[in-house]
Amino acid sequence: MYHFGRGRARWVPYLLLLPGVLAYFIMAVGPSLATTVFSFTDASGLPNAPVNWVGLDNYEEFLFLGQAARDNLNAVGRTLVFCFFVTTIQFALGLVVAIILNQKLRGRNFFRTLYFMPVILGAVIQGLIWTLFLYPLGGPLAQILGTFGLRSEFLGGPPTEAFAWVIVVQIWANMGVTMIIFLAGLQTISEEYYEAARIDGANAWQVFTNVTWPLLTPSVNTNLLLNIIGSLQAWQLFLVLIGYRNGTQVLGYLIYATGFGQTSGSVTSSFRQGYAAAASIVMFVMVLVIGLTVQYFLRRREERLVG
Amino acid sequence: MMRKTVLTTLVALLLLSVVFMQPAAAQTTTLRVLVHQNPPMVEFMEMFNQQFQERHPDIVIDMSVVNANDLSTVTQTRLSANDIDVIDIFGFSNAVQPYMENVDAPNWQQLIDAGLLMDLSGQDFINNYDAATIADAGTYNGGVYAINLGRVSYSGVFYNMDLFEEYSLAVPTTWDELVAACQTFTADGIPCMTAGGKDGWPIFVGAYGMIGAIYPDQAALVEGLWTGTIKWNDEKSMEMWRKMQVYARDMIEPGASGVAGDAAPGRFASGAVAMFPGGTWYAPAIEASEPDFEWGYIPFPASDTPEDNQYLFGKYDQGWAVAANTPNADAALLYLAEFSDPENYQAFVNAVGFIPTQPTAQLSTRIGEQVGPYLANFRVGYEQYWVAPRGVGQYAAPWASFFQPFGTFDDPQTLADTVQADLQSGLDAIGG
Repeated sequence: MYHFGRGRARWVPYLLLLPGVLAYFIMAVGPSLATTVFSFTDASGLPNAPVNWVGLDNYEEFLFLGQAARDNLNAVGRTLVFCFFVTTIQFALGLVVAIILNQKLRGRNFFRTLYFMPVILGAVIQGLIWTLFLYPLGGPLAQILGTFGLRSEFLGGPPTEAFAWVIVVQIWANMGVTMIIFLAGLQTISEEYYEAARIDGANAWQVFTNVTWPLLTPSVNTNLLLNIIGSLQAWQLFLVLIGYRNGTQVLGYLIYATGFGQTSGSVTSSFRQGYAAAASIVMFVMVLVIGLTVQYFLRRREERLVG
Repeated sequence: MMRKTVLTTLVALLLLSVVFMQPAAAQTTTLRVLVHQNPPMVEFMEMFNQQFQERHPDIVIDMSVVNANDLSTVTQTRLSANDIDVIDIFGFSNAVQPYMENVDAPNWQQLIDAGLLMDLSGQDFINNYDAATIADAGTYNGGVYAINLGRVSYSGVFYNMDLFEEYSLAVPTTWDELVAACQTFTADGIPCMTAGGKDGWPIFVGAYGMIGAIYPDQAALVEGLWTGTIKWNDEKSMEMWRKMQVYARDMIEPGASGVAGDAAPGRFASGAVAMFPGGTWYAPAIEASEPDFEWGYIPFPASDTPEDNQYLFGKYDQGWAVAANTPNADAALLYLAEFSDPENYQAFVNAVGFIPTQPTAQLSTRIGEQVGPYLANFRVGYEQYWVAPRGVGQYAAPWASFFQPFGTFDDPQTLADTVQADLQSGLDAIGG
């Protein structure tokens, strides 16, 4: 019953946990609660500035006031679209690459490093690389398109195109993590299962669907959740690649721009951290609902497959 | 054992020396300065800082440079952290007018109301600047919170003199002449105009001359939009939108959206394009790129009547403010005082091409010669007056960049209706 002994020894694990728990509360729970409180105020985020309780005004403005509210809801929709494409493509690509690089191939360590390398670059470097690659006046891709008589503004073109490029870069930047998690999962599957399947006459597809896929369940779940939550909260690449442009904003970037008074040139704007906090809570609820729903179905699947 | 004792003594001595060296290091004041990215200005500031440090060896300047789009954000965060002493702040603009409702105070006003900027009233160096500038671009509630360093025009267009001569083209004074000139250049494979579209705003700011040609009184334009006497989709505005479409589709070179703001002057100076719509602040960068390059600057000829194309629209550009809570107040004020010295200020104006705000300074630069004839017609531009009500949609702005290939719209009427509807949505929300 007492796993860690009796008497004072019982409290040792709790004492050991205490620093971590305290850090979590100070660094994560505290600011989250403060954000919730801020969302009901007109706080500007400036020290000494008066802070007034405004009740649900920020939420009402974000969700219902004028065309701006419809633009906000469009940003929510765009965030979901971004999440869908990033999650599905990154997941599929990561799985395929992991399976290939799990084979006994010459130079596989080199390729593993190559695919993982973008992950260790910061968003600014990632953005810079792609900005140069997509430079419309003679960049590599512009030259390739030019040989077919085509041209594009890429990141500076119509919002849909610019948005699609951010999806591409987001996948490129993070696919390495997905791949590594799948690789780790693949390496935990015993070779005996594959041998048994082959002896039973299973072809490659049957081996994958009946051995690899079910036994990869923990990696599948981890990757899906990480991809979904990461893409719902994405904003840095939007800032670095295209800036604040109509028709491209996702919720995360909208919050940043509103909360920190991002401007266009010298046009002044306002600091509205109370309003931005309300938008953050909307995003939090969205991530929570989607995250819990996905987790519920993944758990059920895991219980069914693995037991 | 002996070795251990010696080692311990050495470490202790080292620690003691670090502790006792601290007071000597503390005698040096590090003055933290924040400026926005403008290559000629940054270059001048680096030179000025070096000279300032030589005159004052006890002060070290730590200057940070940020993109103009991020200046407000960085100002907020560093002021909040009490991590900055001298701040680059744009001339006070976008003040809330009596006819405006349901709007937010501009960020400079919020900073002052929060007590984060020092009241500079009574400082001698303020007297070096003309009184109108101090009143218009740095005064709030009776206090002086910024000294503004110069005005700029953003409604003009640079043109390549050699190319115009080569093609026997007169400098355009009307819209039709501009269109014809652009057609001549593009027909021969020379893009008509470029802009630093990667930064976003240079595409639409390059077209601000079009708003000015249609609405020369831009304060009245803003009031008209607020009170409903002017609509973005009325017949007069439609002329502006139609011309903006031609500008975005036919005049600006394809691919301009990838050109960085600070690379655009160099591209123009290389002779790759015939014209470059933009602010006077680009002039020093053009000269630095190609000192022998022959260029001129004219108001954007967006009207069919030459008389309507005589106005230059612009703003008060960079200024200096001091953090109210700075522990280095004396050094900060000394920095501003020396900067404001007429000789230093003249060197600054020569370097950055600003229209001076010190009455003794001379506008002797090339851009000064170019804008000189229009200075009597200088007017503060639309964006400096405009404040949007809460609830407006994202298209409630007169931006040429909404048109293809930079945006989604290819029909002026559809765009004009969208812009007006997005604005009306905010106006209708007042009191709602």
